[in-house]
Parts: sequence; structure tokens; C-alpha cells
Amino acid sequence: MLWVDKYRPKSLDKVVVHEDIAQNLKKLVTEQDCPHLLFYGPSGSGKKTLIVALLKQIYGASAEKVKVENRAWKIDAGSRTLDLELTILSSTNHVELTPSDAGFQDRYIVQEIIKEMAKNRPIDTKGKKGYKVLVLNEVDKLSREAQHSLRRTMEKYSSSCRLILCCNSSSKVTEAIKSRCLNVRINAPSKEEIVKVLEFIAKKESLQLPQGFAARIAEKSNRSLRRAILSLETCRVQNYPFTDNQVISPMDWEEYVAEIATDMMREQSPKSLFQVRGKVYELLVNCIPPEVIMKRLLHELLKKLDSELKLEVCHWAAYYEHRMRLGQKAIFHIEAFVAKFMSIYKNFLISTFG
Amino acid sequence: MEFDIPLPEELELLEANSYYPEEEDDYLNFEEAPYPYDEEKEEEERVAQKELHVQQPDSPEINGIKRPRSLMSDPIVNLDEVSPASEKRSKIGDNRVEMEDEDWLRPSPVKEVVHAVEEEEEVIPPETIFSRYASEIDGECFPITAPDGGERVYAKFCRALGDEEVKKLDVKAKSNGLIKDPISVLLQQSEKEAFNKALQTSSEDQNETITAETPVMHEKLWVDKYSPSSFTELLSDEQTNREVLLWLKQWDASVFGSEIRSTTDEVLSALKRHSTTSHRQKSDSAFTRKNQFSRWSKGSSTYPKNSDVSNSNPTDNHDMWNKKSKLTGSPEQKILLLCGAPGLGKTTLAHVAAKHCGYRVVEINASDERSAAAIETKILDVVQMNSVTADSRPKCLVIDEIDGALGDGKGAVDVILKMVLAERKHATGKENINNGKTSSKKERRTAPLSRPVICICNDLYAPALRPLRQIAKVHIFVQPTVSRVVNRLKYICNMEGMKTRSVGLSALAEYTECDIRSCLNTLQFLNKKNETLNVIDIGSQVVGRKDMSKSLFDIWKEIFNKRKMKRERSNDASGSEAKKFDFLHTLVSSRGDYDLIFDGIHENILRLHYHDPMMDKTVSCLDCLGASDLLHRYIMRTQQMPLYVYFSSLVIPIHRRVAQIQRPTIEWPKSYHRCRTLMVEKQESLRSWYHKIPPYIGRHLSIKSFVEDSASPLLHILSPPTLRPVASHLLSERQKDQLAGLVMLMCSYSVTYKNAKPNPALSDLREDAASEATVLALDPHLFDFISFKGRQLKHHILTLAMKQVLVHEVEMQKILQASGGRSGILNNPEEVKKTNQELARKTIAASNECHRNPVTSKSPSVPVEKNATTSEAKSSDVKKASRTALNFFDRFRKSRKDYEDPEDVQKRATAKRDSRPLLFKFNEGFTNAVKRPVRMREFLL
Repeated sequence: MLWVDKYRPKSLDKVVVHEDIAQNLKKLVTEQDCPHLLFYGPSGSGKKTLIVALLKQIYGASAEKVKVENRAWKIDAGSRTLDLELTILSSTNHVELTPSDAGFQDRYIVQEIIKEMAKNRPIDTKGKKGYKVLVLNEVDKLSREAQHSLRRTMEKYSSSCRLILCCNSSSKVTEAIKSRCLNVRINAPSKEEIVKVLEFIAKKESLQLPQGFAARIAEKSNRSLRRAILSLETCRVQNYPFTDNQVISPMDWEEYVAEIATDMMREQSPKSLFQVRGKVYELLVNCIPPEVIMKRLLHELLKKLDSELKLEVCHWAAYYEHRMRLGQKAIFHIEAFVAKFMSIYKNFLISTFG
Repeated sequence: MEFDIPLPEELELLEANSYYPEEEDDYLNFEEAPYPYDEEKEEEERVAQKELHVQQPDSPEINGIKRPRSLMSDPIVNLDEVSPASEKRSKIGDNRVEMEDEDWLRPSPVKEVVHAVEEEEEVIPPETIFSRYASEIDGECFPITAPDGGERVYAKFCRALGDEEVKKLDVKAKSNGLIKDPISVLLQQSEKEAFNKALQTSSEDQNETITAETPVMHEKLWVDKYSPSSFTELLSDEQTNREVLLWLKQWDASVFGSEIRSTTDEVLSALKRHSTTSHRQKSDSAFTRKNQFSRWSKGSSTYPKNSDVSNSNPTDNHDMWNKKSKLTGSPEQKILLLCGAPGLGKTTLAHVAAKHCGYRVVEINASDERSAAAIETKILDVVQMNSVTADSRPKCLVIDEIDGALGDGKGAVDVILKMVLAERKHATGKENINNGKTSSKKERRTAPLSRPVICICNDLYAPALRPLRQIAKVHIFVQPTVSRVVNRLKYICNMEGMKTRSVGLSALAEYTECDIRSCLNTLQFLNKKNETLNVIDIGSQVVGRKDMSKSLFDIWKEIFNKRKMKRERSNDASGSEAKKFDFLHTLVSSRGDYDLIFDGIHENILRLHYHDPMMDKTVSCLDCLGASDLLHRYIMRTQQMPLYVYFSSLVIPIHRRVAQIQRPTIEWPKSYHRCRTLMVEKQESLRSWYHKIPPYIGRHLSIKSFVEDSASPLLHILSPPTLRPVASHLLSERQKDQLAGLVMLMCSYSVTYKNAKPNPALSDLREDAASEATVLALDPHLFDFISFKGRQLKHHILTLAMKQVLVHEVEMQKILQASGGRSGILNNPEEVKKTNQELARKTIAASNECHRNPVTSKSPSVPVEKNATTSEAKSSDVKKASRTALNFFDRFRKSRKDYEDPEDVQKRATAKRDSRPLLFKFNEGFTNAVKRPVRMREFLL
């Protein structure tokens, strides 16, 4: 088992990084009145861990007994019946799913499941009616229709079912939903927190972790706790005992993006743009989200740029990223950004060196 | 069948014309051609022609050929050109012609009238030798080599011949090639004839003039009126025409061939010998002759196309000849697929060529029923009649607009494909038959194609045609040159008495893109309105543009290609720009397929060679593409379809920036879709992998961030460089631990190594293993996710031996887990634990087992916490245990003591547990069944 999983806090009490949030959640649950919740924050910050711990807090150990199944729904949608299939993860008291997997028919899934949960609501040990929890992942990818259908059902069935929504950015969640939930922002852990976690793990594994090395791992991790722990384990596998200047093996895709950035700096022409396009395609094929590519690319470029260009390049990166999020074909916009950068850079080179 | 008197005359003249080029080339010295009366007859003929034009609508087809119109195009010019030579020629062989003429003239008219519709072979008794030979190449004209001189003469056959003496005479003279009559005799003869004819025509005239003046005649569409009726009148590209004809000719062997050859074998060989020698002599002049052909055909002279084919590439022809004599098969490609823009004359070509070769055309077009069954019966009717009955010519099937109605057209395509494939099978089957006759019956079922089938389409790349494209011989029509079209238009206008200037006509031709049909319709329309064609406002004056929907490739080409517009540039640059603007706009919007159009632009734009030092053009083009994407997404989201109109205007700035004069090489936009499908594939593989991982780990993984965050480190961890492939007892304690940890990791992530075929994409990854026969690859191909093209992987890769060790260990571990789980259900945890411990001792890896078993945590005697995490595990485990121990009924019990001290609960739980040493517990999985503790003795009772 990876350290990431091994040292994942199982209950709210043991949460290290977002301790204050965990305590608040615990208070919420123990008062027996849990509102709908919306967790949002960057990946690797611990949303999922918190949710799982919260579920355990509510339902006890039975929340840990989960099963995965492929469920098929027959949905009567007006004139036709739809056959939808989705993987869901469930325990006796909760259901967890990613409705955006159903594509544009996600709203049927949302409605159907909520109704189903409301239908057979559990009876609490005390004899009074309890509630079930529905965990929806990647809510920001839900279509607008699904979100709209969600907001009414949330109210209608709120006596029997609570929603826990989880997403990376709350900007794509409609205001209506946001206002019906308790919004919980999970920010990326700070470097100090990461170092703390790493040291904790090292202690548990009885490793000698030099102070500087932990800091370097934290530095390289982009404030993603998962990544930090994984790279710690990688380093452990590759070379132990740790030395202060040990190589922390980088992510392959990040190196690839760095290559692209170098290409862009070296030659500015349609031809080199064409090569860049091929590489961007490669990245996209390997399931790296385009936003991440864009961000990383800018990051790599900023490392190499003169300070006077930085502002302009950042501006255009933001501009094209915005367009990318509005549009559908990410490659168009990434490429447009690359072209724009090339144009700016070439102008700059000519004006500086003549 | 009624015969018009002037018609044969024309035929004859046509023939006369048709000999010119050949004679000019070959027989300048052997003067033999009988043209004495040409000059004299000219006048008469012109009169006759005039009348004929009026009459023609009445009898557009005689004996299935529409020949006469052709020669009217410009007979005078032709005659003028040749006349000096022909006059000389006519001297020789005159009397001979006359004599022979008399012999068989008398019976012939009678006979011909009777057999007018018959096959040409049967029509003329005396010339059979020549005609047979000719028919092998062509139905209508044929080369003849005189036995004594060795010169070649082309004689022409017409199905309509025989009603006119002069004609016979002509043929005879040609075929013999020995005209010995003095010119005077010949002249006399012709005069007499001309006189007779004049009489006849005048008498005919009176009947005809009445009809000619009725206004109904003018209502006939010019398009039909002047549609080419003979091969040489075709406006389409010479090369294409000839190839189509050649293809049709290749069928001759199987369609007509057998009976012909059986009679004339020795004659054939003799003639072949002659013709080869003569051809060899003439081969040098082939090129010059070819040039002349084009000139001739442009001047719409009626040149026998057979000689055309045979002379332009004599060797080809002979090869074909030889081949044919060997095998009676039909051509390799059974289907001819003609494609091209509307109005270029595809249908006309198909009809004319088929008729020319002696077929009867059966047409299936969009108006007919086109279901597969209907088509099949029709094709069977047409195509499988192997015997040529006496009164009908073999049929040739023309399927028009095969791409038209996709749903229906597909039926036709399928039927044709089936037949062609049956043919193929038959061919291969024949070889089988030699060995054993088993397969012969099967082939009977779908009979092979034995008649030519010509398919016509506008869009070659229509999806329904994809299979057909591979087996058919494809000809793509190109636009005829403007001058050619204009010549024809001018001629027709003259005939109709419409005043036009060639400038206007050429403008019209350009405007309609050489679509002669639309040109003619426009002209007729204008003529009707008594308007003249105006060059300047052709756009507004002309009735309207046809709705051109071009193929995607054409659209991309238009976008990337800048036309040189010399004339318009000089007139006014802004006007032409506006026109181009309009043109592109309509082009793109009439096609519609915006998404694909922009994909294509994106795919190809960077490969163009446009001058862009500062990348400004590229940036703005990509911005346009981006805008199109935004617009598309917006439309899809809000369903505001009217916004689609704005797509086409996005194309124009792109065109303005990057259009080049040189022709771009355009590729179909594949990469985007490739990328998408690959991505989906990989996501799917990730997803299915996640399902295999036990949920308490799998739920924390997300597809989105796996590669971003975890892929590389995970692979590093999976292949530690310190692990050595040695026997397990040789390993140090620490290494054992390490190995155990790794095996556990692989199990919990359900990763294993598997024999994989050496995938080319992977082979460079596993550099050492690739060479070996068995390559062990990670089962979910995780390495795929971190491998990028053009980049060397820096991951350490385990050796093959190590992988094998791991595979073994993982398998063992899996079995252990499975058995452990089962035993957990079956009996008490102690036993499970014991076995587990034993197993753990055996395999280094099983130490984690207890952690996976929530039950095990109950007894503190077992070293559960060896690796079961943290210090607080104990307390939480106990708590958990107390919870899980509760069954459905316990819940109610517990609710009573809900507010008890947790310590108390715990104590009681332990007490209870101690009281019953054996516990049955539902251990794994998920059930709603009632669970409660049961004593052992209850079982024993």
C-alpha cells in the first residue's frame, strides 16, 4: 500500500492539515444537523479525505464498507426511455458517484438517484428517521441542466438526504446551488504543513528525513499533499538514506512541457508552432487536463522570460485560458496562446537586438 | 422507323470529314478518297442542314445514334482545310468504286431499311471481313489494310447506312482503298446523286417546313437540343473520354467477342500482321497526329474515335488485342465510377460512349426506385443476359446520381459490390475447381457481372461510396477549358440566331464554372426574353447561381488558394475582392459542415508556406479559429441555431491572411479526432483499472489528476532500482521487507505484469526486454501515460527476471487473499489468523492481511498492529469493532444505552466477546441480510 493511502487520516480527529475545518465539521455532525455541503479546492488538498472522514463520523464504521457496482437505470424521459449506466460506490448509508460521467444526460442520473434515495430512507437506531448522504464528485463538470434540476430536488428531499458536492472550482457551480450549501473551501496545504506531514510519515516509517530535503519535496510538490507524499516514497525507493541534495524525480509531463517551452523560445515560426502542436496533442492524449498544461506552460515560460515581458505574457495566458474554458477544443486555444507568445517574443527580440 | 432524307446525307458528310485527318497523315501520296462532290454538295448540304436543325427535334434519334448534329458544327472549315488534298485523291479509284458500287447498291437499300436497327455486322453482307475486324475494336469504324498495298484505310460503319447510295459508295471506296475511276466519272456520278438528293430534300422540305415553323419547336430545351450525340462532340476532357471508351472496349471480348473471333481468326491474324507493320512505321508520327486530334475534335469534326485510340497508342491497343485473344474476360475493374461537378457532361459521356460501343443504355437514376431488391433485379435483368438476342444490343447499365439519396443509394452500392465480389470469388474459385468441385455450386448463387456498369456521382467522397471507390475505376471530371465551352456556346447561339459576343460568353462560362447546362439554360432564357448577354451585370442578369455545394476538400482549397485573377485585377481590385468575399461566404455556408471545415483549416494552416515573420498572421488566424470554437460551443449550449450564419464570415479573414497562389496539399483533419479517441481510450483503461482496485483506495483516485499527480511517482515506486532478482532466501531482511511491500502494493493497486505482444509503441520503452520473445508489461499500461513522443523515459525498468519473480509473488498473494476472505466467512477469526500467519511466514508478503480483515483487529493477541498503521488504530479499532459487532436487532438494544459511557460500552463488548470464544462474522462485501452472532453449539446441535 502506498504511503498516501496508508497514512490517510481515517477520522476527523486525526486530520492534520485542515484541522480547523475538520473540527468544525465534527461539530456540525455531532449536533445531528448536517446541511448540504460543497467542498471545493485544488486537487491533492484533501477534499476526498475529509469527506470520507466525515462520512465515518456520521455513520461510524459502516461507512467504510463500500462496494462498487455498475448500475443501470432505465429512465423515462418524456417520449423515450434512456438507458444509462454508471459506476457508483455505496455503503448502507451513502452513495457516491460522478454524474458527469454520464455526459449530457447527467441530469437524469442526478434526479433518479436522489429520488431513489428518498424513497427508501433508512430508519435510525433511535427509531427516528435518519438521512442518507449522496456524494457527487466533479460537480463543476455537471451540465447546467443537471445543476438546475439538482437545486429543486435538493430542497424537496432534504429531509431524507444530504448532498455532499465536491469540485475543484466553485466558479462553475451555479449560485443557486452554492447558496443552498455550506461552502467549504479546502485550500492547498501550505509548505509548512506539507513538511509537517512528511515528517510525521518519516517518523512512522522510522526514516531519517533531513530538514532541508523535506522542504525541497514540499517546494516541488506544487502544494499538493498527495504529490509530496508520493515523491517522498519515490525517493525512499530510489535512494535511502536520504541525502540533502538527492534528486527528486520530476513528473514526466512537466518535463515535456518544459521541452515545449524551450522550443518556443528557440524558434518562432509557423513550423515550430506545428511541432508544438504535436507535443500538446501528446499531452492531451495522456489525460492531462488542458488547464493544467496551460498553467504549467506559463510557469515554464515565466522562468525564462525577461521581467518586462512577464506581465504581457501573463495577460495573454489568462485571456486564452478564459477562452479555452468557454470553448470546447482546447487545442485551438493553447495553440493560439503559443502563437501569441511567439509573436510577442519575436517582437521583443527584434526590438532589443535589432 | 422513319428516315429523314437529309440525315443520311449528313452521316455521309460526317464520314467524309472523319477521314480527313487520317488521310492527311497517311495517304497524302495515295490519293484515293472520293471527295469529288464535296465542293458541289456543300451548298446543298448547308441548306439541308438548316432544315435539319428544324427537323431534328422530331427525330433526335435514329437507329440509336444521334450523330448528325455533330458535323454541323463546322463542316465548312473542315472541308476547306482538306479540300486540296482530297481533290487530288479522288482521282484514283473512282471507277472501281463505281463498279463495285453498282453491284451491291441495289439490294442494299432494301436490306438496310429492314435491318436498320440490327447489329452492324449483320447489316452489310459484303464487308464482313472488314467489319468484323473493326468491331473488335469498335462498333463503328475500323482500320483496314489493303492486301496489296499495305496501306491502311479507315472505313466507317453506320447502323443507319444503306439508305443512301453515296454512302455505300463511300464506304466501299474507303475500304478497298483502290479507286481507279477518273475524276470526271466520279463527278458525274456525284452530280447525279446530288440532283436526286436535292429533289428528295425539296419534297421532304415541304412537309417539314410546316412543322419547323410551329412555335413548339422552340420550346425544346437547348440543352437537349444540342446535347452531344457522338463521341467526338463531347466537351469533356479528351483523356477521360478516351479512357472511358477504352474501358468499355475492354468488355467487347466478353460481350461481343466470342462469335466474332470464331469466324475470323485467320483473317484477324493476317490483318494484325499488316496493321502492326503499318503501325510500326507510323508510330513516330503518333505525336503530331495526336495534336491534330485535339484540334480536330475542338473544331467538332467527327473523327472516328477508334482510330483515335488505336493510333495514339498503338502498342497499347495491340497489347489489349493480344490479351483479349487469350482470355475472354472482362476488364479488371468491373465498375466505372464517374464523378465531377454537375453540368460537366458525365451522364452524356456515359450514354454516348455506351452507344458508341454498341450497347443499349439502361439508366437507373434518382427517380427510380432504388431499394436493394429493386436494383438487384434490374441489374440481373440488364447484366446477366449473356446471349445477345437478334433484335437487341447488349445492355449497359448506367446508375446515375448514385450518391444522391444516401439511404437508397447504399442499396445499389451494396448490390453492385456483392456482384463484383462474387466475380472475384468466382475467379479464385475457378482455381479451386481444378482441385475439387466443391465450391462451384456456391458461386452460382450470385451471378457475376457480365455487362459494363457505369456509376455516376457528384461527390466522390460521399460516405456511401467508400467501398465502391476501392473496386471501381474512378474517373474524375475536370472542367473543360473556357474556350472550348465558349466555342460550343457560340456555335449554338449562331444556330439559334442569337447575337452574342464571345466576351460575354466566356464571362458566362466562367461564372457558371463551365457548367454548360446552366450556360445553355441561361442563354435560352435570355433569348426568350429577347435580351442580350451583358458582360458587366452578368451576376444580376443571369437567372441565378446554382446552389453549389462542394466537397470539403474543394472548400479548403478555395480557402488556402489564391487565384490569379489578372483580368479582374486590372479592372478593379476592390470589385474582385468583394466578389471573392461573396464567393467564399456562399461556398462555406452552402456546405454547412462548419465544425469540420474549421478542423480542416486548423489541421492544414500551419503547413502552408505563407510569409509571416512576426507571427501576426498566425495569431489572428488562430484567434479566428478560437472564435469559431467559442461560437460553436455557445450555439450548442444555448441551441441558438441562427447564429450559425456567422461561421462562414470567420473563414474570410483566414483566407485573406494565408491564401497563397501555389496549390496547397490538404489533408483530412485526423489529428484532432485521433487525439480525442486516444484520450477516451486511455481514460477508459484508467477507469476500468480503478474498478479493479479495492474501493477504499480507488475512491481517492481521480482520472483527471492521476497522470498529473501520481503516475510518475507510482511507476518509480513500482520499479525500485535496489531490488535484485535473486532467490528469496538470499535476500536480506530489509530486501525481503521491500519485496513484500512491493507485492502488497501491486496487489492493492491490482497491478501486475503480463505477457504482452511487443507493441511497437512500447518496445522502445522496455529497451532490454523488447528483444526477448516474451515481454512482460504492466497490466494496465501505465507506462503509456507518461511516455511522450520524442522523449526518452527516465524510469528505471525492472529486469525480466525480477518481473517474473513479482508476477509469481503477486499471483500467490492474490490466492492468499481470496482464500483468507473465504475462510473469514466460513469460520472463526482465530483460524483465519492462524492460517494467515502461516501464510505470512511462507510468503513474505502476507503481513498486511490482518489489516484488510476488520475482524482480526478484535483480538489483541494477534500482531495486528504490526503494520496496521498508527497508535490510535487500537482505540479506533475497538470502537469500530463494537459497532460492527452490532447486528440489526442490536441496534435497538443499543439505542437504549446510547448515552452510556463509551468506556462502559467498550468494557461490555470485550466481556461479551470473551464469553463467546467463537464468532461468526460476515466479513467481506456487502449485504443487507440479518446478521447476528451465533454460537458454535447451535451449529453442533
